[in-house]
Amino acid sequence: MEELFESPGLVGYCGGTVALKREQWLDLARKLDWEYTYVDERDVFPELVSGRPWLPHQAWADWDEPYRTSYAEYVTGQHAKEASVRAVREAVGRPEDYQKLDRSWRSVLKLHGATLPLAEFAAVIGNLRAARFGRDSAWRTMATFGALDELRHTQIPLLVFHDLVAWDEQFDWTHRFFHTNDWVAIAGRHMVDELLTASNPIEFAIATNFVFETGFTNLQFIGLTAMARRVGDRMFENMLRSIQTDEARHSQIGPAVLRILIEHDRDYAQYLLDKWFWRSWRFFAVVTGFAMDYLTPVEHRAQSFKEFIDEWVLDQFDRMLTEFGLQRPWYWAEFLASTEIYHHQVYASAYTYRATTWFDFALPGPDERAWLAEKYPRTWPLIDPVWERITERWRKAGPGVEWYTHGATPVAFCNLCQLVLCAGTPEANSARTAVHGGRKLVFCSEPCAWIFEREPERYAAHKDVVARILAGEAPANLIELLQYFGLREEMWGKDVTGGRYPWLRPRPAAGEE
Amino acid sequence: MLVPLLGFLRGDTIGLVVLVHDHQSVAEVAGAVQEAATVRVAPRARARVYFKGEVLDPTATVAASGLSALDRIDVVQEEE
Repeated sequence: MEELFESPGLVGYCGGTVALKREQWLDLARKLDWEYTYVDERDVFPELVSGRPWLPHQAWADWDEPYRTSYAEYVTGQHAKEASVRAVREAVGRPEDYQKLDRSWRSVLKLHGATLPLAEFAAVIGNLRAARFGRDSAWRTMATFGALDELRHTQIPLLVFHDLVAWDEQFDWTHRFFHTNDWVAIAGRHMVDELLTASNPIEFAIATNFVFETGFTNLQFIGLTAMARRVGDRMFENMLRSIQTDEARHSQIGPAVLRILIEHDRDYAQYLLDKWFWRSWRFFAVVTGFAMDYLTPVEHRAQSFKEFIDEWVLDQFDRMLTEFGLQRPWYWAEFLASTEIYHHQVYASAYTYRATTWFDFALPGPDERAWLAEKYPRTWPLIDPVWERITERWRKAGPGVEWYTHGATPVAFCNLCQLVLCAGTPEANSARTAVHGGRKLVFCSEPCAWIFEREPERYAAHKDVVARILAGEAPANLIELLQYFGLREEMWGKDVTGGRYPWLRPRPAAGEE
Repeated sequence: MLVPLLGFLRGDTIGLVVLVHDHQSVAEVAGAVQEAATVRVAPRARARVYFKGEVLDPTATVAASGLSALDRIDVVQEEE
């Protein structure tokens, strides 16, 4: 310490106190480790909670990340961001501002509003576990900031969308979603519980910070922010930008942990990456795929979901894999194929079961279908006949008759990702079946089956919606099932126009003009 | 006895849980899967049912075909 005071870095006196340059004191604040003398290091950081491989601290001692932030800097920066969000909310965050937005764009808000805040709250737990059981003090410091970030990401959408509940009850799902047994919530909880609340700090760092945040979230927020700007939704744009800057910072925990993990257990690092890239992909395909290719008005779309994935996820992810000397996931070919079809299948399926969700769906019309055909030349011809069929049924039923384009038969769910069983193409079913402990299982894809088989004890006890119905825990009747999902009729997802599209007028009969 | 089957109709976008009786014919099962998917895919008069890669006899019953709860079947419509 004395050397610091005598060094050329001494910058002067502040009110009688010696002031040091930032770099002279920063590591004392963010990276301060010590040797334990009266307790064993393994007891302080048990492998069960801290994660494997268990390594002595010496192996983690070089842990570092580029942001190197102090608490004072963190608080100052966050305060400024909060002020910005508050100012925008006061200016354009009233219900009348939302009423001006396109109805299908409001569904983007409802979908993201529901899946975002309480998942972020689960991330608080994951970060706090790392803030205590991460293996280096700088990691623990960064995870503490990460926990504070995620708490903020919980509060902002809850605050912003709460004002809208009195106007539109579907916004109540911003808070309600993860507390329900809606099928999307079951799938969301299945992933979020494993990703955020159950993972040890090492798996959390690879799964959440490296794959989910660096690979998907960080860049997804950039894409969605640009879309919100084009749509004219300044509140959502500002909220996402504010959150994204936090994500960019605390996601840096991931590469720092991965670098050391690879040195000691490369196979495990590759396994975690393979597992979480697929699980993250499935989640984002639904949440972001719906938003980019269907719910954003076509005149405001700049690129397709596939183009976005290629540009913002694949290029960067590939570069990171090369940088770390890791392989692409073994299912890469299947992944690339699914970027062209999977979200289309889920959207078409969900449209015809829209009452089981809390947000409304847009029916793609001629302009949208032409745009999708151009963006997905290889796969759209497989999906378009489904929309033609739905369109014809709307035409036959007339406006407001939702049930005629709505399914009534229970659907099947993947026993790993818990999402509806849509995968492969309409021409080649990629579902996989297996038997575990005498129980028949079905998976939407080979990677989902592989993930289950690697750690069956982690997943086997979970009951999907079908298992609950067959066990008598959930009703088989669709109307009763909607109640089990937590949906009242006024909340049911519907077509955004109730079938009142200008292009959907009945075709004139023969002889009529 | 009611048998829940996981039915996939080629051309559709999702797997469905179809309840059939064990005394129903395979042809009736094909009809039930098509009916369940009718919102998205127009049904056709004839369709084949595949189970474990083999085409089932349309006149055989569910029980005689070896189908049991939560088995996966694939239904492929035939040209009319």
